[in-house]
Amino acid sequence: METFNLDLPSSILAWITFIPMIGMAAIMFVPKTNMTLVKGITYVATFIPFVLASVVYWGYDKGHSGYQYAQEASWISINNFNVFWRVGVDGLSLPLVWLTTILLFLAVPASETVPRVSKAYFALLLMLEVGILGVFISLDYFLFYVFWEVMLLPMYFLIGIWGGPKREYAAIKFFLYTLAGSVLMLVALVALYLNQPDGMETFSIPAMMAIGGAQGWAAGPELLGMQFTTWVFWFLFIGFAIKIPCFPFHTWLPDAHVQAPTPISVILAGILLKLGGYGLIRGCFPIVPDAFRDNAYILGVLGVISIVYGAYVALGQTDFKRMVAYSSVSHMGFVLLGMAALTEWGMNGAALQMFNHGTSSAACFLVVGVIYDRAHHRDLNAFGGVAQPMPRYWALATIAFFASLGLPGMAGFVSEAMTLVGSFQSPDPRFRILVLIAALGVVLTGAYILWALQRVFLGPLNEKYKDYEDITGREIFSLAPLLFLCVFLGIFPYYLLDWMDVGVIDLMKLLSPGS
Amino acid sequence: MLLLNDVHTTGISLLAPELILVATSLLVLAMDLIWKERNSSRLGWISIAGLGLAAFVLLLAFQKEPDHAFGIVRVDRFGNFFKLFTCAALAVVMFFVMQDRRERKHRIGEYYFLLLGAGVGIFFMVGTNNLLLLVLGLELLSLASYALAGFHKGEKRSAEAAMKYIVFGGLSAGVMVYGISLLYGLTGTLDLAVMASATGEDLPRSLATAITQSPGAVAVAMVLILGGFSYKISVAPFHFWAPDVYEGAPTPVTTFLAVASKAAGFGALLRFIAVLFMNPDAAEAVQDYGLQMGSLIALLAAVTMTIGNLAALRQESVKRMLAYSSVAHAGYILVGVTAMNTEGFEAAMFYLVAYYLMNLGAFGFLLYFAGETGEETYESLNGMGRKSPVIGVSMVVFLVSLTGLPPMVGFLGKWKLIQAIQGVNDGQYLWLAMCLVLNSVVSLYYYVRVAKHLFLKEPGERSLKPAPALTGLLVVLAVLNLFFMLYANPIVEWTNASFDLVSSAE
Repeated sequence: METFNLDLPSSILAWITFIPMIGMAAIMFVPKTNMTLVKGITYVATFIPFVLASVVYWGYDKGHSGYQYAQEASWISINNFNVFWRVGVDGLSLPLVWLTTILLFLAVPASETVPRVSKAYFALLLMLEVGILGVFISLDYFLFYVFWEVMLLPMYFLIGIWGGPKREYAAIKFFLYTLAGSVLMLVALVALYLNQPDGMETFSIPAMMAIGGAQGWAAGPELLGMQFTTWVFWFLFIGFAIKIPCFPFHTWLPDAHVQAPTPISVILAGILLKLGGYGLIRGCFPIVPDAFRDNAYILGVLGVISIVYGAYVALGQTDFKRMVAYSSVSHMGFVLLGMAALTEWGMNGAALQMFNHGTSSAACFLVVGVIYDRAHHRDLNAFGGVAQPMPRYWALATIAFFASLGLPGMAGFVSEAMTLVGSFQSPDPRFRILVLIAALGVVLTGAYILWALQRVFLGPLNEKYKDYEDITGREIFSLAPLLFLCVFLGIFPYYLLDWMDVGVIDLMKLLSPGS
Repeated sequence: MLLLNDVHTTGISLLAPELILVATSLLVLAMDLIWKERNSSRLGWISIAGLGLAAFVLLLAFQKEPDHAFGIVRVDRFGNFFKLFTCAALAVVMFFVMQDRRERKHRIGEYYFLLLGAGVGIFFMVGTNNLLLLVLGLELLSLASYALAGFHKGEKRSAEAAMKYIVFGGLSAGVMVYGISLLYGLTGTLDLAVMASATGEDLPRSLATAITQSPGAVAVAMVLILGGFSYKISVAPFHFWAPDVYEGAPTPVTTFLAVASKAAGFGALLRFIAVLFMNPDAAEAVQDYGLQMGSLIALLAAVTMTIGNLAALRQESVKRMLAYSSVAHAGYILVGVTAMNTEGFEAAMFYLVAYYLMNLGAFGFLLYFAGETGEETYESLNGMGRKSPVIGVSMVVFLVSLTGLPPMVGFLGKWKLIQAIQGVNDGQYLWLAMCLVLNSVVSLYYYVRVAKHLFLKEPGERSLKPAPALTGLLVVLAVLNLFFMLYANPIVEWTNASFDLVSSAE
């Protein structure tokens, strides 16, 4: 790893992460009446990271495994406690970094219609971006944890101040759930740190992976009769599973999504859920691979329950946004199933599904936001025939929801199919049953999405909606890039898979027994 | 008392910080009589200058070898740490006295005298191995605190607080002194170092001998002494006074009780345990006994933090919530004590520094708003964060720190405690670490509730008068909360260097 210096090429990840923070600091000094300048700064502070992330993406050398653009510098150094600024990206984190930068950029125009929007909103948005990007680039578990927690506070305020009628309840629920998960991570993390040879303790994630894979963890303390690695695994898993969210830890999600303003729902569904999946493949599975292999089937079952249950509950929703929220539970179940299968296809499918769900669910939330801004309600049964006054909107919404549905030719199809095929290939034959049940979830997905589209756009036109303005240029500006990605990656998935596969091959080596 | 013969020629110079405080307190008392001003901030600045001078002398003495004055006052880095801590805390409390709008209607001259007197008590309490002087210091601190708690003579709440404090304080001091007398009877000495290292069967005997000869009596003595300390640091089941006294006392006094007085209690407790039980040369019986004490303290810690947090959940008054929160934090700090090793004690001391930074901030915030609105309820804070964003955002920083979330120093404090406790005896206290982190989740709810009322609720009609000096202090504290997380080395090095009880025990 290189030493720390601030020139752009070697510390590009640091710049990507902290440019939003510079923007945040700048916003603080802008008078609160000058919203034009505040928005301008936010646009710039989210656009530069996007450009830099794109540079990193194209500059990433797919011929080499391991972490690139890595950087290391000592942060806290005390005799028995050493923390490093240790960052780098691989094929698994890089697409998510890029997705983060683009979604945050697109969230800015989408924020125009948030009621009572103020400069604090944009400052918090930028702070949130710092936390998210920090998690994706961290290769030091302490650093990872710090960034992980940095996200919570801005999210709390973004939901709690600018959210819907039940915003206070939703915000604190989100906060408490996530914190409950992350304190379990904290205990596991301290245990992992202490369970290393004296004088050799490190928070380095690659080093912990090496210990977990090659020599195995020493038989550390037991808890409730569980082996050290087993309880560490479950603590880490629960911490990340709450974020994914997988059944039965998902109950915060519908509240948070429904109450959050549109751009925040977009970020929640688009990126924050991915942090859970990413956390599993970076900070949980490869660190305690033995325990993961032993419990992979349970994870697969949880994934399938999430798929079917999420879809089934989505079918019963009358609130448009709540339906999309439950569809996230369902779609993220595929991620868990693909990972648990322990095959290269499954893992690639899961990684791809995370990205694709990031674009398609974000697009769905934007679509819901468009109609909500006009109708000021989201009751699916009260709409009808909206396609007539808003034809362009109907077309774009259909693309978004079909991408979410997993229509062949769209991005979601590739990743869900890969996940199911990968799971079917699993050495554990019980996974084949899981795949069969998961396929049922796909049918349910088709049902609730088509039924929702029908209730909103088709049928006789409700007179109330006949004067509605079609989707505006600003709204298209937010939506179009995401829809483009949904379609483009459906046809050319290898623009992501080539990157991801490098990371997946590394990961599979770490996860396979006797590595 | 053999040790009294061991009079040191340079004793007086070693007592310089204490003497400076005594001189300042007398000066303040005299000047108050001469100036006869109702709201003299001059007196406050004189007191703060005196504290500054004492702190300066302490800093100069920091690198010196441990020494004795008059045989019973021990001058070492550990005591030095707590004395500096006290100076820093008292200075802020005095600043609060000057800033508190609600104190304007009272004569505040005696405040400084009493606070400085309490400071002298703390100095002796944390700076001695002699149990007699420890009790004297503790009583001096307590007497000053009783008077301070009842400072608003005309107010029923304040008088009630003082009364409760005296009754509980008198009882627990009696309990503690009884425990000490037992210990004295068993060992024939009041000096902890002698107790730890005496040899032979004659008086003074070592604690090891006492344990082998009469284990039951030692156990009773230890429990009673621990009870006395528990009162001072508001640990369950001796915490009942805390909420009422904290709520009834004037806010600056509450701050003093929650920060300075509690740290002093911890200073004396840490010294008591470290000198008696953690000496690496101590007999095996003593070390085993120490580990058993550790189990008892673990239980106290778990119960204290849980009671504190659960009770804080249900409060409608922010001040009472902070009172219970300070009970909970006492439980957290006890986790470091449970570890019974250097790492744990250093973690506890680090946490005290973090506690200083975040709790002073929280009380300063309360002081400002209670002064503005005349109320201490959550409802009175509605929307105030939007009207006074600088103080509001600073408070959010303190709340994050109190919850123990990164990137604030409270997180590092909790981390160090957890690391210390999980490392003990191959995870023996893993359950305590779990208890601590789950309590943090509980505490999030009521801490965030403050932020909720500040920012999520619609503001009322009331307008706020700015308080630039107080705002400045809160901003500085908030920045330090962040700074010492990002760059913690100075505090860690200071606390680690300050824990010199075990290596240099005679």
